[in-house]
Amino acid sequence: MSLTLEIVTPDARVYSDTIDTVVIPTVEGEVGILPGHIPLLTQIEHGELRVTKNGVTQWLAVGGGFAEIEGDRIHVLAEHAITEEKIDEHAVETALKRAEQELSDAKNIDPQQYEHLQSLVRYAGVQLAVKRRRR
Amino acid sequence: MASTRDIRRRIKSVKNTRQITKAMELVAASKMKKAQAAALAGRPYAELMAQMLAALADRVEELQHPFLVKREIRTRGIILVTSDKGLCGPLNTNVFKLVTDIKTPAKYAVIGRKGAQFIARTKRDLLADFPANDRTTFADIRVVAEFMVKQFMEGAVDTVEVIWPRFRNTLLQVPTLMPLLPLTSLQDVLAELRSDAGLTASATAPNAVENQMLFEPNAATVLEALLPLYVNREVYQHALDAKASEHSARMVAMKTAKDNATKLLGDLTLEYNKARQAGITQEILEIAAAQFAA
Repeated sequence: MSLTLEIVTPDARVYSDTIDTVVIPTVEGEVGILPGHIPLLTQIEHGELRVTKNGVTQWLAVGGGFAEIEGDRIHVLAEHAITEEKIDEHAVETALKRAEQELSDAKNIDPQQYEHLQSLVRYAGVQLAVKRRRR
Repeated sequence: MASTRDIRRRIKSVKNTRQITKAMELVAASKMKKAQAAALAGRPYAELMAQMLAALADRVEELQHPFLVKREIRTRGIILVTSDKGLCGPLNTNVFKLVTDIKTPAKYAVIGRKGAQFIARTKRDLLADFPANDRTTFADIRVVAEFMVKQFMEGAVDTVEVIWPRFRNTLLQVPTLMPLLPLTSLQDVLAELRSDAGLTASATAPNAVENQMLFEPNAATVLEALLPLYVNREVYQHALDAKASEHSARMVAMKTAKDNATKLLGDLTLEYNKARQAGITQEILEIAAAQFAA
């Protein structure tokens, strides 16, 4: 028995495949999902998501969002998500610097905007961590 | 018969019109591609989120979140999504027909100048209007959604619904009404939208049998985070959709206008040539007649 995993962001459907197991970074810590899991709706954190299919593990960086497990279907709704091989380390580093710069420059900005920038910074950090752990 | 000079003048004006409509068509076509890509890319996310909530709404009846409570509907709150500019065929008019069909008391928040003008002209209750330019961002739309949610929470309106021209394909935009809040009526709408998009049934099939669902950290926290995000995202998605519809409709309208101008130009040119030829024949006749007379 296998699971279907679907990872969707506002920009695209990032991942859609049948898999064996997945580890999701939730706000309560990492949760490993195997077939036959109880229906679950949880908030996810910025972090790394590990997908295992036929013994091969793939890493993804995900931004905050939600995950729903129902039967053998897993839906992940994330603000951002990217597979490990698509992460461009250089681009992420520049993006990180820019976001950090904006954060330190702007003091009186809209709290929502501030939150958005912070989430960008954290997502960039996660992407770097995912990319670097493979070396 | 009109004189050759008059016809020439008309030909010139029609040519100008054709040039303008052609330029507008090209502009709309390039904008359309971008807008369509944006709208289609966002759809899986919005649909999945709606699906998630539909499953949720079934299971958490005992949870008293204000978004889930059905109240007596005295005033409907409607977010109307239209375009800022005209010249896009019957797009806005079709959307307005849906508005005209609403007979119960309703208050409106409008995105796009055309809609604001319509609501004001027909003396309906306009709460607020927002511009709809081509670079509408999530932050812009969030303001609209949060405004309407505030009205909902304060009791000024008892529902939040969206009317927008749903983008089906370049030639077809369907004016659609979708209730957002309260969430109780979500299931029916979802089924409708899904059949509209031609999605397979396998993607749906909510498992009503398993009635227990685990929430982490707990149901209240998850709902608290998910529900507002859902409303904002959904309105944003509809705004993107409306943008795609607008540019598609404009492109088609402009293409029709251009084709009509070309046809008219052909007819006018024919008429002009005839008139010119008649003039020449007339002159020859006059010269010949003069020679005979001499």
